[in-house]
Amino acid sequence: MARSRDIHRRMKSVDNTRKITRTMEMVATAKLRQAQRRVIESREYARRLTEVIQGLVTPELAEVEPLLREPEQVRRAAVVLLSSNRGLCGSFNSGLIRTGMAKVAEFGAAGAETELHVYGTKAVSYCRYREIPMATARNDLGDPPGQDDAQTLVGNLARRFADGSLDAVSLVFAEFRNMVSTPPVVKQVLPVSVDAPTSVSPYYILDPSADGILGALLPLYVTNSAFSALLETAAAEQAARRTAMKAATDNAEDFLNTLRRTFNRARQAEITNQIAEIIGGAAALED
Amino acid sequence: MSPAPDGPMRIRVISPTRAVFDGGAESVVAPAHDGEVGILRGHAPMVTLLGEGVMTVRGGGETQEFQVSRGFLQVLNDDVTVLAEQAAPL
Repeated sequence: MARSRDIHRRMKSVDNTRKITRTMEMVATAKLRQAQRRVIESREYARRLTEVIQGLVTPELAEVEPLLREPEQVRRAAVVLLSSNRGLCGSFNSGLIRTGMAKVAEFGAAGAETELHVYGTKAVSYCRYREIPMATARNDLGDPPGQDDAQTLVGNLARRFADGSLDAVSLVFAEFRNMVSTPPVVKQVLPVSVDAPTSVSPYYILDPSADGILGALLPLYVTNSAFSALLETAAAEQAARRTAMKAATDNAEDFLNTLRRTFNRARQAEITNQIAEIIGGAAALED
Repeated sequence: MSPAPDGPMRIRVISPTRAVFDGGAESVVAPAHDGEVGILRGHAPMVTLLGEGVMTVRGGGETQEFQVSRGFLQVLNDDVTVLAEQAAPL
């Protein structure tokens, strides 16, 4: 008797959990849709900006432009690690943290003094717990992220890179490839690396000169890389949360089915028992 | 929403967050870094830095104005691209 009631109580609890995870899954789906739209709408700007910069860069300009400077040896490096402010999104944050720590170790192994800039509650509390020193620890970036947040991320670092007190800046974020694939990636933000121009640019009138335009556009490019990374990470977080919550809902359903079978069997056994008792009782009276 | 300008040139205004405008035009007047620049059909290929100010797109009897700042303007084969860190229709 007590057994079937226990199982029933358990079923209620699992059902409640399932309701919560399903709701979180639906919320994440809605947020994901918006975040994904933002990522897609921002890609055109990044693509065009990259195109024009690629068309303008020449080996000679790469020598003089401060943001393109390739240091012979990296003495001081910075790693910017992005993470989310909230959990319940599977291995999203642990993946980012692992990738970030690997990058810090890589800079360290190459003999560079590395500073760590951490954004998002999850990575910040990880570093606090492990007592890993952080140059920045913040969790107040906008949702959705704005351009001023991108400026916060890299503005200061770009200035320090330009005046030579920093030799490399890498950004660790989650790349939003599609709904199910959002791997953590490392991107070198500074020095700006430009692929060789894909096609010979036509004879443009340049106003001002190529280096004048480049000097103005490269800071925009650096800020935009950070902005894209923020948008992608925001979308990836929702995608990861949706996947995790879907898995949790499915598990709860499976578990609920198992419990229901056990409950029915226990109930049947009880009834059988009771009938046997009644029959036994009736038979005793007849005698 | 009033009808958008139309004309033989294609003009796109793109900000970091979205494409603000994509359509046709007969003329574009934009604030370049050292003064206004006007673009008509058949303009030579050009890349110029934007200043801060109001850009005017005219065509088909319609006019549309945008506030733009920081970025560049590119002209290639009657295709005008304005890429601005801040761009909003007025």
